[in-house]
Amino acid sequence: MNLYEADDQAELRILLITGGWEVRRSFNQIGIQPGDRVRILRRAPFGGPLMIDNKGTRVAVGKQLAEQIRVEVLP
Amino acid sequence: MKVALVGQPNSGKSTLFNAVAGYRSLTSNFAGTTVEYTHGQARVEGMVLELIDLPGLYSLTPTSAVEEVSRDYLLGGDWDVVINVLDASQLARSLELTLELLDLESPMVVCLNMMDEAARKGMTIDTHALEVALGVPVVEAIGARGRGINETFRIAEEVAKTGRRPRAFVYAPDVERVVGELAGKIAVRIQGEAAGAPTESGTRSPVSGVRSEQSGPSPSLDRAAIACNGGHCSSACCGHSPAMEGQHGPRGMAAVAELPVQPQTTPPLANLHASELQSPVTNHQSQIADFPPARFLALQSVQSDPRHIPVLNGGVPSGPWTPDSGPLDRARKEINLRTGLPADAAVSAARHAACLTLFERVAHVARPKADWREQLDRLAMHRIWGYAVLAGVFLGFFRLIFDVGKLGEDRILNVFDLLVAVLTQHMNPQSALFAGVKGAVLGTAGAVAIVLPYLLPFLVGLAILEDIGYLSRVGYLMDAAMHRLGLHGTATLPVLVGYGCSVPAVMATRILTSRRDRFIAAFLAVLVPCSARMTVIFALVGFYLGANYALGIYVLNIIVVALSGAILARIWPEISPGMLMEVPAYRVPSMRVVALKTWWRLREFVLVAFPLLVVGSVVLSLVDFYGWQHGINAALSPLTALLGLPRSVGLTLIFGVLRKELSLLMLMQALGTTHVLGAMTAAQILIFTLFVTFYLPCMATLASMMRELGWRLTLAASGALLALAIVVSLAARGVMLLL
Repeated sequence: MNLYEADDQAELRILLITGGWEVRRSFNQIGIQPGDRVRILRRAPFGGPLMIDNKGTRVAVGKQLAEQIRVEVLP
Repeated sequence: MKVALVGQPNSGKSTLFNAVAGYRSLTSNFAGTTVEYTHGQARVEGMVLELIDLPGLYSLTPTSAVEEVSRDYLLGGDWDVVINVLDASQLARSLELTLELLDLESPMVVCLNMMDEAARKGMTIDTHALEVALGVPVVEAIGARGRGINETFRIAEEVAKTGRRPRAFVYAPDVERVVGELAGKIAVRIQGEAAGAPTESGTRSPVSGVRSEQSGPSPSLDRAAIACNGGHCSSACCGHSPAMEGQHGPRGMAAVAELPVQPQTTPPLANLHASELQSPVTNHQSQIADFPPARFLALQSVQSDPRHIPVLNGGVPSGPWTPDSGPLDRARKEINLRTGLPADAAVSAARHAACLTLFERVAHVARPKADWREQLDRLAMHRIWGYAVLAGVFLGFFRLIFDVGKLGEDRILNVFDLLVAVLTQHMNPQSALFAGVKGAVLGTAGAVAIVLPYLLPFLVGLAILEDIGYLSRVGYLMDAAMHRLGLHGTATLPVLVGYGCSVPAVMATRILTSRRDRFIAAFLAVLVPCSARMTVIFALVGFYLGANYALGIYVLNIIVVALSGAILARIWPEISPGMLMEVPAYRVPSMRVVALKTWWRLREFVLVAFPLLVVGSVVLSLVDFYGWQHGINAALSPLTALLGLPRSVGLTLIFGVLRKELSLLMLMQALGTTHVLGAMTAAQILIFTLFVTFYLPCMATLASMMRELGWRLTLAASGALLALAIVVSLAARGVMLLL
């Protein structure tokens, strides 16, 4: 499952960031890495970005980028 | 003594800088780039410090020009100490940059800013434990309230004087082992190159030092060579004794063990004494033998984009620091083999893991209280109400700008009218000198009375919206819509501001990171009819043809904007894959920051646009005085004939470039009547208005475009706009001929 497909408010764990060097770097820069626990707080309409919570940091992630993140739902 | 301020965006770095350097600071570009940084002198507790405020960066491994230039500046070593400013409330993420900076193994102080924000989030941070773990002084601060600032600078000065150099943080063994080997090879290569081609070591000029490395090996490399050839380098000097078990270790031990040539360089301490003897006050990193450390270079090479040759020498593709591609490829493969990850991901994962471990050791997070800001975001970022709030904020914003602006404009214009009246009494109104002076006065009036009253409240409002943290929320809300224009959500502001005035709209494109986005946003922003063009639209089309026609122009304009955006996005395709942006917590705006931001932006406008407006106005006055308008009308006659307009409106189009609303005033003067409909047909009025709406931006806008985009892009945009105006007007003419 990718991040964009995940449900709002669910506790998620990032498994893998696909999409090459630039995508990995930009996620890394903003402090998002495989293994991190994140939660989707809300999403903008019309295929707009997601707002996720990552250890208290709020990050807006565009749809295309969110689709590059593989996640699993934590129990 | 040179102090470099380094921190992630929104870490409050500039607040710290402003608190001590304030209004005396200057903005410059890094040599050969458009990347700006702020610098200035500060007097802190009796010491004079030279401060360099680098642009905010998330990491030293660059993904943007800004980061690349900032990293190269740090690698250039033209500084004595780094102050790493952290947002304490974002400690986990902020530590990533801190660990990277530690890899530079250079004098450094950590300033834990926004401690109040961290407390509000329920975070407690054991500063002492952090200090011990990092091996550098950590100072708590609340920059917005001025707390901890002086202490930060005082300790930075101490650290710079003693030249205390921290050790790099040690990452996962799998990574560390391979990187150590590579570092050894890099060190050998540096020594080889330096020994092979010793050059005169010279002092570097500030900042341009970054670029001066292009000409040859840097002084620090020469020093490395001299020191090592002099026999000071022994294996004993290369390893440090671990300061903390399990956390710190000797750099590149693997390399020391496995390579035949003793790698690494002089002991930091011995070298420090040498440089201290030469200059007791400054302790430039560029004068330190093993700067930048080989391990840092190895890490950077491994992390850099594998599709490019690693660029680690101030923009030189293959400097002496760059490892051969062979060893680098092998190192990457080795890391990949050991960790199962691409090498760059393995390094960042290792650093990330180190950060999290460190974070968990030094910080404790209690459950944060649900505060009003979360409630506010529920409304402000809601999928429906969020847009209502957005519309409300922008309407209120514009309303305020216009109300304040109108108030100022009328009053200031009265003063200038008075001045012209006085001049008319005391000078010969028939002289060329009078025409020139009058032009200068009117030009100044245009700048001071018409632009300034709107620009000033706008800039204040913009700085407040920015400082509160609302702008990033606008970006979030508008991202999907802006994608249709080939832009991201953050470009909403410039385009909307364009309805008010194109000058601040173009200036607002600075918040965008890529040159492409800045260009497209600026182009669309000037395409949108500003308030001056609104005057023309309403006074001509609205008055003579009816409000529906005026509204029609606005609708047509929106269609043209959307089409232009789509076309530009095709011509200059997007490289960045989408929005990835931190949404900062709401903050109470700091009036000092707002005032400073406004002042800097205003100063730029005054310096760039004022002279142009005044000179342009003088020239047009003289044109009028000497009666050159016939020549100009004749020169423009092909254009006016093409559009089916009276020949005499040619000059008004030139005036319109000076100030848009002048084309309206001059039209009446050119036609010799205020009853435009008598002199022009309804169709001509419509075509004239359309042309004026779309053609070249006014001179002040052109000036700010030059400032933000450079003259090439400004020229390209102007050409495109002119072509667009002709096409739109001709299409309108065609449609009306058919009807």
